[in-house]
Amino acid sequence: MSYTELTVWTRGIIMDKEGRDIVNSISASARIEGKYAQAMENYVDNPDRTNCPTRKYCRVSDNVLENELTYENEHPNIVVLVEGTMVKGWDYMRGMPPGGTLVINTHYTPDYMIRFVPGAERLAQLVCVDAAKIADHKWLYYRLGELGLDRLSTEGAAERNKSIAPDIAAPLIAAVVKTTGIVKMKTIEPMIANKHAFEVALNELHIMPLNPVAV
Amino acid sequence: MSTKDTHIPEWLTVPFAGITPAPSQEKGQDLFPTGNWRSIRPVYRDKLPPCNNACGTNEKIQGYLDLVKRGKYLDAYALIKEDMPFPSVTGRVCYHPCEQACNRGKYDEAISIRAVERFLGDLGQALTNDVVKPGKPNGKKVAVVGSGPAGHSAAYQLARLGYKVTILEKSPKAGGLNRGGIPDWVLPQNILDREIERLEQLGVEIKTGVEVGKDVSWDDLKKNYDACVLAVGLIEPNSVKAEGEDKKGVHYGLPFLRDIGMGTSKVKLGARVAVIGGGNTAIDCAREALRQGAAEVTMITVEGNKNEMPASPEDLHDMLEEGVELMHGRAVTAVLGNGKVEALQLHKARFQGAINASPITVDREAPSERFAADNVIIAIGQRASLNWLPAEFKNERGTIKMDKFGRLGDTNFFAAGDIAQVGSGQPLMVVNAVGDGKRVAFNLDKVMRGEKLQPRTIPVDVIFDLNRMNMTYFPHFPRVQQEMLPTKTRTKTQDEVIQAFTEEQAVEEANRCFSCGTCNACDNCYLVCPEPCIARPERSNGMYKILVDYCKGCRVCIEECPTGCLEGVPELDFDTGVVRMDTAFAISPGLHGRQAQELKNLGDRPAKNI
Repeated sequence: MSYTELTVWTRGIIMDKEGRDIVNSISASARIEGKYAQAMENYVDNPDRTNCPTRKYCRVSDNVLENELTYENEHPNIVVLVEGTMVKGWDYMRGMPPGGTLVINTHYTPDYMIRFVPGAERLAQLVCVDAAKIADHKWLYYRLGELGLDRLSTEGAAERNKSIAPDIAAPLIAAVVKTTGIVKMKTIEPMIANKHAFEVALNELHIMPLNPVAV
Repeated sequence: MSTKDTHIPEWLTVPFAGITPAPSQEKGQDLFPTGNWRSIRPVYRDKLPPCNNACGTNEKIQGYLDLVKRGKYLDAYALIKEDMPFPSVTGRVCYHPCEQACNRGKYDEAISIRAVERFLGDLGQALTNDVVKPGKPNGKKVAVVGSGPAGHSAAYQLARLGYKVTILEKSPKAGGLNRGGIPDWVLPQNILDREIERLEQLGVEIKTGVEVGKDVSWDDLKKNYDACVLAVGLIEPNSVKAEGEDKKGVHYGLPFLRDIGMGTSKVKLGARVAVIGGGNTAIDCAREALRQGAAEVTMITVEGNKNEMPASPEDLHDMLEEGVELMHGRAVTAVLGNGKVEALQLHKARFQGAINASPITVDREAPSERFAADNVIIAIGQRASLNWLPAEFKNERGTIKMDKFGRLGDTNFFAAGDIAQVGSGQPLMVVNAVGDGKRVAFNLDKVMRGEKLQPRTIPVDVIFDLNRMNMTYFPHFPRVQQEMLPTKTRTKTQDEVIQAFTEEQAVEEANRCFSCGTCNACDNCYLVCPEPCIARPERSNGMYKILVDYCKGCRVCIEECPTGCLEGVPELDFDTGVVRMDTAFAISPGLHGRQAQELKNLGDRPAKNI
């Protein structure tokens, strides 16, 4: 019997869709595999405010989800930080049971990032992936005109590309799926728009094994 | 709405999250109507208030004023007692550098901190048992030479750390300068007696009538004790080097006051008294002379006018009110008379360089003046008397040779107080001696525990700039004045001139405190947060917590924090500002450091009120 909670922390507007892509694609793949799964956003967050921390949740289970009307993931097994500076901000590790996984989009190595993680003893592995570089995430730096569409509190309504994971979400999904096996690689791969980034990321993960929990 | 064809100002051309301003800031809505949020996140970061910084012993003044404001007098007294063994004494005698530094002084009038301290000190005097307890005995014996402010402070802190302390005092009564240098109408003897009693209750043994060099030798100190604090003070009065200074009727400032304080004075003053010197001791001597029966007292100073005198302006004002005359720009060149003082010969004089810190030039060519006087009191400072000290520990200025921690070489001997501070540029006053005694006690403790002595490296952010606070929250409000005895009658008695605050006055005065840079539980952030992201278990200092995962970085709390305690730190980088949320608080030790510690343990234990 397995039950897994995945919480994605992302930032309002600038990376909101990336977070949503991760939970949506993983829960959709889980359903294809015949599991029970759901994905939702946290309604008390402020996704319409630039840079504000927002949460996306996903639950995958072999059985019927008994807590499907519970709004927040209270015990996330997997936490993803879509933007690297979030690592120092607040206690995103709260409620994590031992043996968890933390995935961070950063160009730093896990050796550097581990010092910022509160309660790192609960982690079985810390995974760092430079998703912005792998996905050739140029817009972050100079494609203002196109970025502008995405920065006017449209909450994704005016997004240029409606495909799933065209950008930095692809390497992050690769990191989650490869290190945790929450869904099978072959079910999720067809959904990803940026297949190149997805494949490159599989070989460019920086994984730091920490405290495995005996099953 | 699209940004296509929008003119993009140069400062926005790199659209990297975090560099564009928040909508509440200037130009924040120029490009994006909803603006850039959460490029900062708010943190409570306590600054050091200027009063705390200026205090010689770094009393947590903002902390106890805040407690007085809330009626928690006992907590406030306990907080003062961490740094100051005798608030009832300094509440009367301190020259209050804190009030000079008070930010409120730039706004209307400085807080009357000394009066509130005296209110708390008197409250402590009335307690049957003191709030301070001796530390767990560690089996080590320390001798403290001298029971003045520095010795008292060092002995007090060492007793709190668990040392067995013995004070060796030369005079028949303990108290040092507190007893011998301060007149009764400033500090009544019974107040000091009570504070010394408190010190003895901590297990400190006071041996009076024991003089180092005569009754106890250097080697005895070395042999009988694990460590020793030398707080011997400056006891030899300086001479004016005038002809005939040995005539009858010439007195020296500190011995004059000391003999009166110890009750051993045989001085009978004539009608006309001249006081030489322009400092605080000279002022005390002049005022004491009036109380000893002098009819006319004139103060003769080298300083050109009264503003240059190195004295507390309040004391100077009170002295002039009592009728003491001033005579400036003159030096005594001879004491005239036949075996007894009859007159002084004065010449015009001035300081060669900086006032009070350079040699005096006396114009002997000019015609001299004759000033008739029955008595002369010379109060132009003191120097050390260290005949008993081994030569290796003496320096060229005739004081003790020591390192910056007050330690003599690599011995277990330390020096504290005026003897250590003279010539350091530090004004010699009670509170500075107390602070020095405290620091030396902590250094001694470190040496005894085998720890390395290191200078303090924590950067301290002292908040001097009123613009860092939100002044719209502070209405102008006049200072509460302490009542004084009427001028006419007070020179006839030894009664205390300055009267104590009542409880209402103390609370009213404490209420004027800005609480510069530190949280005072005003609840403003809690109320203005639009989300709301600010949580608190109860309304208490430093107990506010920001739910940073919900905060959207609107800066309203930062803008509206009256005390400037809240500030924004960059959210989106690794190079500047705060690293982890829970490390954002402890920048200064003491009250605020303790708040930070409590914040860290918020979940583990019930909240305290400090």
